Amino acid sequence: MQKLGRILMVEDDSKDVELTLTALEEYNLANEVVVTRDGEEALDYLNCRGKFSARSRENPAVILLDLKLPKVDGLEVLKQVKAAENLRYIPVVVLTSSHEERDLVTSYKLGVNAYVVKPVDFHQFVNAIKELGAFWAVINVPPPESVNK
Amino acid sequence: MAQSNSDSHKILPIVNRYSLAVISVALAVMPALVLQHFKFRDVELPLLLFAIALTAWHAGVGPSVLAIVLSSICFDYFFAPPLYAFSLTPSDIPAILVLISFAVLVARFSAVRRRIERDLLQTQDKLQAEVVERTQQASLLNLTHDSIFVRDMSHVITYWNRGAEELYGWAPYEAVAKRSHDLLQTVFPMPIEDINAELLQTGRWEGEVRRTKADGTAVVVASRWSLRRDEANRAVAIMETNNDITDRKRREEEIRGLNQELEKRSADLQASNKELEAFAYSVSHDLRAPLRHMAGYAELLQKNASSALEDKGLRYLRMILDSAKRMGNLIDDLLAFSRIGRTEAQKTSVNLEQLVKEALNEVQPETNGRSIVWRIEPLPVCYGDRSMLRLVLVNLLSNAVKFTRPQPKPEIEIGCVDGNKDEVVVFVRDNGAGFDMKYVDKLFGVFQRLHHVDSFEGTGIGLATVQRIIHRHGGKVRAEGAIDQGATFYFSVPKI
Repeated sequence: MQKLGRILMVEDDSKDVELTLTALEEYNLANEVVVTRDGEEALDYLNCRGKFSARSRENPAVILLDLKLPKVDGLEVLKQVKAAENLRYIPVVVLTSSHEERDLVTSYKLGVNAYVVKPVDFHQFVNAIKELGAFWAVINVPPPESVNK
Repeated sequence: MAQSNSDSHKILPIVNRYSLAVISVALAVMPALVLQHFKFRDVELPLLLFAIALTAWHAGVGPSVLAIVLSSICFDYFFAPPLYAFSLTPSDIPAILVLISFAVLVARFSAVRRRIERDLLQTQDKLQAEVVERTQQASLLNLTHDSIFVRDMSHVITYWNRGAEELYGWAPYEAVAKRSHDLLQTVFPMPIEDINAELLQTGRWEGEVRRTKADGTAVVVASRWSLRRDEANRAVAIMETNNDITDRKRREEEIRGLNQELEKRSADLQASNKELEAFAYSVSHDLRAPLRHMAGYAELLQKNASSALEDKGLRYLRMILDSAKRMGNLIDDLLAFSRIGRTEAQKTSVNLEQLVKEALNEVQPETNGRSIVWRIEPLPVCYGDRSMLRLVLVNLLSNAVKFTRPQPKPEIEIGCVDGNKDEVVVFVRDNGAGFDMKYVDKLFGVFQRLHHVDSFEGTGIGLATVQRIIHRHGGKVRAEGAIDQGATFYFSVPKI
């Protein structure tokens, strides 16, 4: 197996964080997950600001982004990521609670790489997370520009 | 014949006119001769002048010349010495010259006067004819139901027809010579200066004005103004034609009021509908997260702590997971149902056969390897929203698969029947559990179920969704069935 890329998870619900991490753990994908709890924190991380100013300069291999977030919402994070010269090539996967046409359309307009509705069934959820993690963090070869600076 | 007739008509007056000259001279000569006989001299000159004047007056230039010549001859023969001879002595010449000069002057003045008189008469005739014509026109204007009045450029009324009297309540003698805007208390829809400018420029103006009748009631009239100009192109009068539109205006006002109310109600309804849809969406969305957590943690518990649990505990866990799954399906179906109300239908031509194939692929996993006999007839192309119609077919096929489960030889048929010329009627028929026609009205309602959850799982939203989609296409749904004898669902969609 290839070297595991770092996964940036943006999720405000601690239960969702725990369940997602559990799912990733089952497939040994949890080690490199960075969790941010709102849109502002996620942008700080991506731009190496505030408490993340000392982080390693490498961009995450994938961003798992919830849409309903405190402070700065998911669509705004997506917009800023896709507008920033040094971040726009990071694959962004929207992970949301339900299928809402408007969010789906807006996300794709903003250049999202995948849009996933979290399944209620835990098996399906685990499978979805596993496949996402495996595809984006392991199988997919990121473009060279996605490495920060 | 007609020609000679008219000629004789012309000749007769000419003969008469010249006869007048001869007779009048003769009638002047005879008394003069009689008087001369009784030694009364010098009466002949005034008498002959009178005869010439008479001829000139009544018979014109030619006969008066004849009269002058005859008078001169008679004067010379009868009255100038030597009497009864055509010889002129030098002493007679002045008298003859005086006679001729006088005669010419008298004839001339008579002719001029006569011409003037004739002209005067002609003018009078013309005037009379015009008066008759105008009177006729005015009485025609009185016949019309429109109210018509004429006013001069300082708005003084000069004519007022019967329609105007009926509309405003003033008789012509009350209205004529009054200023129209004062009498009628006219309220104009725009500044009067603008109206006058338009009237002078184009010669007409049209608009709605408010006025007050003689009895004080207000009236709205559609008023048309036409400008009249004289030969020198000066504006001289304005003719107004008015129609009472008070009732029409009131009805329009009422309709406008009703429309506004309707629009407001419709907007209110739309707003509350939107609110409701948003609420349904948000509830479904927010319900999903805790549900997922419940299912997730129950699953983790089952996995990590199953050794610590008895069979009973494990069964409880399974029940929790089952219920969570059902609630998840319910929420998903509700979301899909509410989405139909919220999204715009994207209508195109839809190949129903292709759509049935796709729907079959989608329900394939639900058949669990059962050997179902599918009978699929050729289907036409229709006009509608592809993804919505796909959902209709998926729901109906999924229902058919589900309700044929107890049937050892399940058969499902898809086809179309003759509808009217504008629509396609598609049916899905199965030989499954069927239903009691008594409850057919409940079939398409939200959360309405005719079977127990334990025998046939489902949320009770599928057929409601089908109906909502078909209604959005302007079509109809219906169902036929009998218990244990299968069911047939029909839906109609517009033809291409």
